[in-house]
Amino acid sequence: METILEARGLTKVYHTGAAPTAALRGVDLAVRRGEFVSVMGPSGCGKSTLLYLLGLLATPTEGTVILANTDTGAISDGRRTLLRRHHVGFVFQRFNLLAALSAEENVALALRLRHEAVQSRAREMLAAVGLDDERRRRPGELSVGEQQRVAIARALVTRPDVLLADEPTGNLDSEASERVLDLIGRFHQQSGQTVVLITHNEKVAERAERLVRMRDGRIAGN
Amino acid sequence: MACLPLANIFARKTRTTISVLAVGVGVALFLVLVGLTSMLREIADRTTNVQAHLMVWPASDQVVLSGGLPADKVQGDLKAIPGVARAVAVLRWPLKMAGRVQNVYGIRPEDWDLFAGPDRMVEGRALKGGDEMVIDTRLARAGGYRLGDAVERWGHRFTIVGIAREGIAGRVFLPIETVSRATDQDRLRASFFYVRVARPADVQPVRQAIEERGLRAITFDEYYDVLAGSFVDMNLVIGSVVFVAGFVCFLVILLTVYTMVIERTREIGVLKAMGASRAQVFGLVMAEAGLICAAGIVAGFLLTWGSRALILDLQPLWTVDIPAVRFAYAAALAAGGTALGALHPARRAARQDPVESLRYE
Repeated sequence: METILEARGLTKVYHTGAAPTAALRGVDLAVRRGEFVSVMGPSGCGKSTLLYLLGLLATPTEGTVILANTDTGAISDGRRTLLRRHHVGFVFQRFNLLAALSAEENVALALRLRHEAVQSRAREMLAAVGLDDERRRRPGELSVGEQQRVAIARALVTRPDVLLADEPTGNLDSEASERVLDLIGRFHQQSGQTVVLITHNEKVAERAERLVRMRDGRIAGN
Repeated sequence: MACLPLANIFARKTRTTISVLAVGVGVALFLVLVGLTSMLREIADRTTNVQAHLMVWPASDQVVLSGGLPADKVQGDLKAIPGVARAVAVLRWPLKMAGRVQNVYGIRPEDWDLFAGPDRMVEGRALKGGDEMVIDTRLARAGGYRLGDAVERWGHRFTIVGIAREGIAGRVFLPIETVSRATDQDRLRASFFYVRVARPADVQPVRQAIEERGLRAITFDEYYDVLAGSFVDMNLVIGSVVFVAGFVCFLVILLTVYTMVIERTREIGVLKAMGASRAQVFGLVMAEAGLICAAGIVAGFLLTWGSRALILDLQPLWTVDIPAVRFAYAAALAAGGTALGALHPARRAARQDPVESLRYE
């Protein structure tokens, strides 16, 4: 299997406080197409920073990310945006649905950003996550579990090469967590969706094919 | 993408309504004021709607103010100038009718043909003499006057013998002798004269000859400027209102959009995570501001329409004409204010760091 996403010597140093803080220290990680990888570690170990770097939302202090055979180390911000738009889907701990839009419009928005036809695919995706009947509801009218399923539909409706999930069950009860993880697992198994899932929960991490452990900004086990 | 700005402005109904109204008030303020300045044009148009070429009055007056010219003597002098076909004396005097002070035009009845042809009379006839009065349709409508009604002023009982279609020089016409007598003038006096020349080519030579006699003569084309010049602060007021209207739009949009950008910091981060480019985020914010502006312009037009109707209902003799081009100008003013106001917050949104935005509480 080809490598769809690769981190080479990723280092990220923040200069927000009195002294520079290294969130990542030379992380190497390769994710093959169709693979389901969990990145696990305690709070503050750099998991989310790694996710943001892998998703091209942030730029590393050192090192590079190779996404879909493109070395993103020296490309413009505009090209990084395009790569992200066409190859990455994000799911966040706090769902981050747009409050003013219905479930269907939230999903369709991801397609609209790509100037693609929206209506039927957004509905199909909502049906795939079991929310066809809730498509006209706004996020505030949905349960937290339903909101996260809409977020998954939004992330996957564009058929991204990689789904990056940052603590997707962090705000859910156990039942909703199971359902969301089942859903991600189903997309992985049925469609060969590549998944990188960040978690601090051992049980959640065990859902993946491969477990990467992080500590103090480094890969501690792979 | 088109649905997001629309959804956002509907999601904040109160704020949107206030913003739309504020833009609308700015637009209406500008349009109504511009409309009110049309009164000046209407007065100038009426005053010069006479079959003559020049207006003549004392050189010492900026505009027609007094009844300071001896009517018969000056009329004789003017008629003696080569090229002058007719010289018509007018004694203008204030008279309160329909709740407002009107400028009565005291003229000789035989000069009526210079002011209106027979087709201009809607009812009745022209002046013949004595205590007769001719008014225009607008004054008749505003004051509820009808043909044959008596109007008691200056200790006289005037009878309305004719109603002429509006647009003639004055709203009220009386015989000049009657005005002179009723206002206790010691002899027949005139405020100004209309001069008709025999040939258009005679205008400048006649004008020069009149000015050599110590009088002021101006063409009708110049009259509006002379009238506007007597309202020296008008342009300043209009300019100030244009500035205020534009500034209101700018400020309202700036505050609204800035608040919106701060409030939606996380959402902007999400949009960027989904692959929205800087241009797309910028466009979304500008589109939202544009929608508020568009609704504000429509609200402003409606407010203008309502204000105009109210003004004309309360003051039927006022003129509030707003040419279509002024509506376009008002819309452009609002759009300009909006674009300027939204620019900074839109740029800020476009440049927001996605990670910081996603972490924003």
